[in-house]
Amino acid sequence: MTKHGLVIDQERCIGCQACAVSCKQENNVPMGQFWNRVLTEGGEKMDTPSGGYPEDGGSGSLDMQYQPTACQHCENAPCVKVCPVNATYTRDDGIVEIDYDKCIGCRYCMAACPYNARVFNWDEPEHMPEGGTGDVEARPQGVVEKCTFCSHRVDEGLDPACVVNCPADARIFGDLDDESSTVSKYIDTYETDQLLEDRGTDPNTYYISGEMSPGRPQTSDKMESELEDVSPWSDGDDVPSEEADSTGAESSGGSHSLSGGEIPYATSAKSGGDD
Amino acid sequence: MSDPQQPRLTPIDEWEDEAEAMLDDVEYDTDLGVQMARDAIRVSNGEMTDAEFHERYHEAVLDEFGEDERPTKPEGFEDD
Repeated sequence: MTKHGLVIDQERCIGCQACAVSCKQENNVPMGQFWNRVLTEGGEKMDTPSGGYPEDGGSGSLDMQYQPTACQHCENAPCVKVCPVNATYTRDDGIVEIDYDKCIGCRYCMAACPYNARVFNWDEPEHMPEGGTGDVEARPQGVVEKCTFCSHRVDEGLDPACVVNCPADARIFGDLDDESSTVSKYIDTYETDQLLEDRGTDPNTYYISGEMSPGRPQTSDKMESELEDVSPWSDGDDVPSEEADSTGAESSGGSHSLSGGEIPYATSAKSGGDD
Repeated sequence: MSDPQQPRLTPIDEWEDEAEAMLDDVEYDTDLGVQMARDAIRVSNGEMTDAEFHERYHEAVLDEFGEDERPTKPEGFEDD
């Protein structure tokens, strides 16, 4: 079986909102709505840190991290359980989707979602340009909508738009049921969290924090999902060695393929947002 | 409409107020929606089974929506 999942490396995320914008463009998300938001872990307001400035020669305690948040595509999705008409459902590949023809707009799913990941079309959706954007049909007034992991792209073997448009390579998409997939390797190797784990929803979205990962493999000018073998550990080795970590492996010229045990170059860094 | 500027996820002790506000002007039963949302999280937590959840709300869902197509229906459960 395939179970699609997403890893977001918070150490790589720079809070640029490219994921939010590309999601809106690709999925024809109406004006005023967001399926994908970049929240801030730290201060009470967006883009503000917690802690204080240095005083009396001290180092200060300012701390901030970006936390992109969308539908978590939960294994135990409460939104699916409360939908009286079965408009919200889980696909065989783990993606939680909405059948907009069935949705009656009761919004029970919105109340049940602990992640505030769903939006409701109160009015006739407006788009800019008026004809809409991207490759997805506009949803009508009176229905709930949300992130689909770009299922229309996934069905074509492509990664979600937010993944391919992340300039920091902070988003990695793949098959959680495949132990050799990059997402599975990263979850095994790095410290990951799921949001609101105490709710028991078991999201298929994981967040890396602490140690920065190599990020989304950039091994070709093709999409990750278009390649048969793109894992940085595709030679069968487990995790990258310290030596490989220190040297990195930058692709050169027109050919972007990696050979042997080379891994994508990533500057090592501790927790982001400390400065 | 969701607030794209929301800086954080809602702590559970504040969630119920938000859920009520979310369903306040819906044309369906607000209390039923909040109760079902609360218990759906309990199902996710393992504090309640799918079958218990389905049976608890079956009549109310039928009354409110005229149908109950939730995927939690246990095997052998008979619709009225």
